[in-house]
Amino acid sequence: MIAEELTRDISTAMRRLDAVEKSEGTAKYVSDYDFSDCLWARMVRSSVPRGIIKNIKLPKMPEDYYWVSAKDIPEGGHNYLHMIATDWKCFADGDVKYVGETIGLVVGPDKTTVEDLREQIEIEYEEQEPAVSIDEGVACKGGAFVNGNNIHCHLKLETGENVEDVFKRCDKVVEETIETGYQEHIYLETNGACCIPEGDHYVIYASAQCPFYIRKSIAPVLNIDPDKIVVRQATTGGAFGGKEHFPDVLCGPLLLAAYKTGKGVKMFFDREEDIENSVKRHPSKVVFKTGLDKNGNILAMDSKVYYNVGAYLASSFVVLQRGCFHVTGCYEFPNMRTEGFGVATNSFPSCAFRGFGAPQTLFAIETHMCHLAEMYGVEPLEYKSRYFIKQGDNTSTNGKVVERVMIPEMLEQVLKASDYKRKAKEYKYGTGKGIGIAFYNHGGAFTGNGEQAIIKAKCRMHKYPDGTVEILNSQTEMGQGFHTIIPKIAAHVLGIPVEKIIYKDPDTSRVPDSGPTAASRSTMIVGRLVEKAAQQVKERWNEKEFEVETHYEHPDGFPWDQSTFQGYAYLGYGWGVCVVEVEVDPCTGEVTTKGIWSSHDGGHLIDELIVHGQVNGGVIQGIGWASTEVLQNVKGHFKQTSMSDYIVPTSMDYPKQECFFVENPYEWGPFGAKGLGELVFNGSGAAYIDALSRAIGKRIQSIPCPTEQVMLYMLNGKDIEEAL
Amino acid sequence: METKISFTLNGKKVSLSTDPLRRLLDVLREDFGCTGVKEGCSEGECGACSVMFNNKMVTPCLIPVGAANGQDIMTIEGVSKTELGQRIVQAFADGGAVQCGYCIPGMVIAAYNLLLENPNPSEEEIRLGISGNICRCTGYDLIVESIKLAAKRGR
Amino acid sequence: MEETKCYMPETLAQALEIKSRVDAIVLAGGSDLMVSHKRTIGLTPVFDRPVMIIRNLPELRKIRVNEKGECCIGAACTSAEIAASTLVPWHVRQAANRMGAIGLRNSATIGGNIANASPKGDTLGPLYLLDARVKLQSLKSEREVLVSDFIVKFKTLDIKPDELITEVIVPYSERDFDYVFWHKVGTRKANAISKITVSMALKFNKDDTVKDFRLSATATGSKTNRSRDVENIIIGKKIDTALIEKVIQAFDEVISPRAMPEFRRESTRRMIRRFLSECARHPNNRVIETYDGYHMPGAIDPVF
Repeated sequence: MIAEELTRDISTAMRRLDAVEKSEGTAKYVSDYDFSDCLWARMVRSSVPRGIIKNIKLPKMPEDYYWVSAKDIPEGGHNYLHMIATDWKCFADGDVKYVGETIGLVVGPDKTTVEDLREQIEIEYEEQEPAVSIDEGVACKGGAFVNGNNIHCHLKLETGENVEDVFKRCDKVVEETIETGYQEHIYLETNGACCIPEGDHYVIYASAQCPFYIRKSIAPVLNIDPDKIVVRQATTGGAFGGKEHFPDVLCGPLLLAAYKTGKGVKMFFDREEDIENSVKRHPSKVVFKTGLDKNGNILAMDSKVYYNVGAYLASSFVVLQRGCFHVTGCYEFPNMRTEGFGVATNSFPSCAFRGFGAPQTLFAIETHMCHLAEMYGVEPLEYKSRYFIKQGDNTSTNGKVVERVMIPEMLEQVLKASDYKRKAKEYKYGTGKGIGIAFYNHGGAFTGNGEQAIIKAKCRMHKYPDGTVEILNSQTEMGQGFHTIIPKIAAHVLGIPVEKIIYKDPDTSRVPDSGPTAASRSTMIVGRLVEKAAQQVKERWNEKEFEVETHYEHPDGFPWDQSTFQGYAYLGYGWGVCVVEVEVDPCTGEVTTKGIWSSHDGGHLIDELIVHGQVNGGVIQGIGWASTEVLQNVKGHFKQTSMSDYIVPTSMDYPKQECFFVENPYEWGPFGAKGLGELVFNGSGAAYIDALSRAIGKRIQSIPCPTEQVMLYMLNGKDIEEAL
Repeated sequence: METKISFTLNGKKVSLSTDPLRRLLDVLREDFGCTGVKEGCSEGECGACSVMFNNKMVTPCLIPVGAANGQDIMTIEGVSKTELGQRIVQAFADGGAVQCGYCIPGMVIAAYNLLLENPNPSEEEIRLGISGNICRCTGYDLIVESIKLAAKRGR
Repeated sequence: MEETKCYMPETLAQALEIKSRVDAIVLAGGSDLMVSHKRTIGLTPVFDRPVMIIRNLPELRKIRVNEKGECCIGAACTSAEIAASTLVPWHVRQAANRMGAIGLRNSATIGGNIANASPKGDTLGPLYLLDARVKLQSLKSEREVLVSDFIVKFKTLDIKPDELITEVIVPYSERDFDYVFWHKVGTRKANAISKITVSMALKFNKDDTVKDFRLSATATGSKTNRSRDVENIIIGKKIDTALIEKVIQAFDEVISPRAMPEFRRESTRRMIRRFLSECARHPNNRVIETYDGYHMPGAIDPVF
């Protein structure tokens, strides 16, 4: 970094600090480490969705080869992984509740022998009837296995008048169900970890988002102090939420294996194994009941939100909460009732995925709004714009929007660039061309005062005598650029080049817990702590060597009650508008995306190039979710198990995007920045489906919508303007 | 069945005695320490393990090492030291092409493979040239722009 | 587990000699076999029979035109080599050019694509369409057989243990037709497996009657579909709407897609309807696309 760069606005693009080593292939991901002294482990899992384990027939284990299972948990240890809830078992014990549930590890020095042994293991089950889909879960197919009703978790939100009373005076009350499917993360690097005993503690190397989560989650297995577990994050090849809690599922068993064998134990998933046996985005079903006056104005809305949680709750209640809080999208409706249900099923537990529950309800409300507009013959944009939320308006949790909402400015940018209004008029429904639009937001950081009450983020900064400064916190780099923007923030505050700043991948024995790298919180919360720390270091710059520590403090005057979910859920939202234009092949139903335009409000951007990359990637991931990324669960087994049948976008699938931003500094973020990493996923799918349904003139209420589905809609679909 | 296999790796003659059916990917990573060759999908779908094989891009997860006998292999470790390879690396860094980085060594190989044959590719030719390399982070736009930048700097 | 024996011949003669005594699995590009026999990260694939690697046999990597003017493609020629050669008929080039990823196209071979006998095999539709033959060689014999006969049924070949596919001979090319059509509906725009691929070609007589019409479809049943009976419905006649519908109906009875049947049937119908009705208009463009204004990135131009 040259001195001149420090005088520019912080948004000006800077070279990523990890770019060259990653490009030259010298960055070390966990499978690149030399763990040659460690044993290999392969996982043995349930092959049935629900049943009693009757017998496990093991081959004769040669010397130095081990079978590690629940029976090896020492006295006082617990057979669970602490992932917000504590219901997810480290090892199945007695019964299995989903295909892929961990039963044991085969461990030994030669990887081929380990796999040969694993293939010889025979497990006998007494199979039971599974419930796999949301509907089957709700219907308690095969008998309820959670809470007597298969509802893991539930919440209810109400604003305004009782909706049932309002419905009575409505001209019309319509019902519509919107569904979304599973989504697999396809981080390019599959899961992997290694656990090595060192003296009285264990060192874990992992591809992971949240090193402190791993400690906390797995320490109960051996009933040891989390401090006895040191987690060192290896360079992480993508995560998107899929490595938020899931590494615990590898690390718990590995910890027990290291305990049992006294040796280091490593495990790397291959792709098929990773797709079949890892967490996914929650499939959802949102049932709207909307009361309208004779002009089609919304008077009241009732929404029932069902998420397929899978066999274990783990973090899903938080996902469901976020989903319900976002069900009103970028709108204010007069009277609302929202009920959320986390449904237990015999499928692999669902977990975090970029957006964390918000994309499902945002897709649902955007799509429902389009359909309401179309049945009243109103252009969807015009209809949606009647309800845009503004600063000071009420949120779904009876809080207020604190910040300025710049939807009008963002809208102007994308309308102009995309020529939306002309195209929307010109492309008649069903003529093969269509343009669509969606609005979305994302509440930054943990809900309400969770950052202060639960996370209690801490950040340290150390000044060394030679004038270098080290940043110490637990935030991880997983591709999003955090380990570039944080030194950049510090450099700008301190007025020293970024080369003088040390910021390593976290090692839990060296850094304070600044909370998980999740929830679009890292920049706005931890970035702010780094900014404050740097300010303190700057003030004491003449001192030779010292360390400062900063703590998160929630601004006063924005109450939140976590027991009733009432109040200010989020202080800073990211906001987005996305326009997508498509063309449909009348012979085959193939969709060609002709253009993608978006505008986002991420406050004052820390690095425009990094943000640009986040937008491009998030938008494409969102359209993938809505189009080609089909992941079916058939009798508890995922049907798509490889990268040739789970279809993520290539460079040919979407055209170059046009991205815009608005300048809207956030009061409590570093240099005015707010969260953005998840926001950029949240709306492109809805814009794509809006464009597609206009192009074919048919109503689409369920995603994903791959080519063959487009053809079925063209053949048998309901007309877009038909009454709901 | 151990067999002696020899090939050229990043410009140097190498040989080893091994099972010819082992995947070239594993031999490169384990026997020669070329850990820049990344395993992403194990079936030739993602391009993360891409290497140059007789100056053409291939995915060594699909190739038994026996098929490399007597052939010329360049991994990212070698390609990044060439003028063109380093030009691509620098353009990737300047153009914001890199996020999690796991696909990136393969993506550099794809760009190298493209620019070797076509030093001035169009946007569509670049997109086609990297279409066998899956990136889940970037949405490809900045990779495409970075390859344009590398091409421009070569003129 | 016992290690598999592996042969690495350096010449065709050596390969045929090995084949004469060992029923070895022939591995060329590896793009199918290395996947179907893979275990997990870092493990050697396991085969139940000895393996013979022929990837680099120079005799099998040539593309030439024989004395009859037929295009002869060495069995170990890669998809990339085939796509790049102007000697190769257009339909075959297009299919080779759209097979999987670029890195895979530098490995996958035409011999392997045929021997894999998958109903989704990318080159099979064009090869059926153009009456292509495979040349099978052993130490003692040499014979040629139509690709459509060579693939007996799903994953079953008319091949003897000592025989090796050495060449693929394609007797027809785009120059034999007035209009050509090839469209692959992939799982995505590139690096895709075929959901359905339809290949067509048509030649008119001077009096506007159809001299020749050919139609094949992959991923529409347990093997690639083509029916001369269906084609004969329109041959010798002038194209009209009723006749087009008759062809569509007859071909619909030939195909038997199991997964996504409605989609596969309907898109096949629509593609046939589009091609024949366009041909009937005698447009100047000789490549018929699925709709006006369609753009296929990286499409290969035919050589007329």
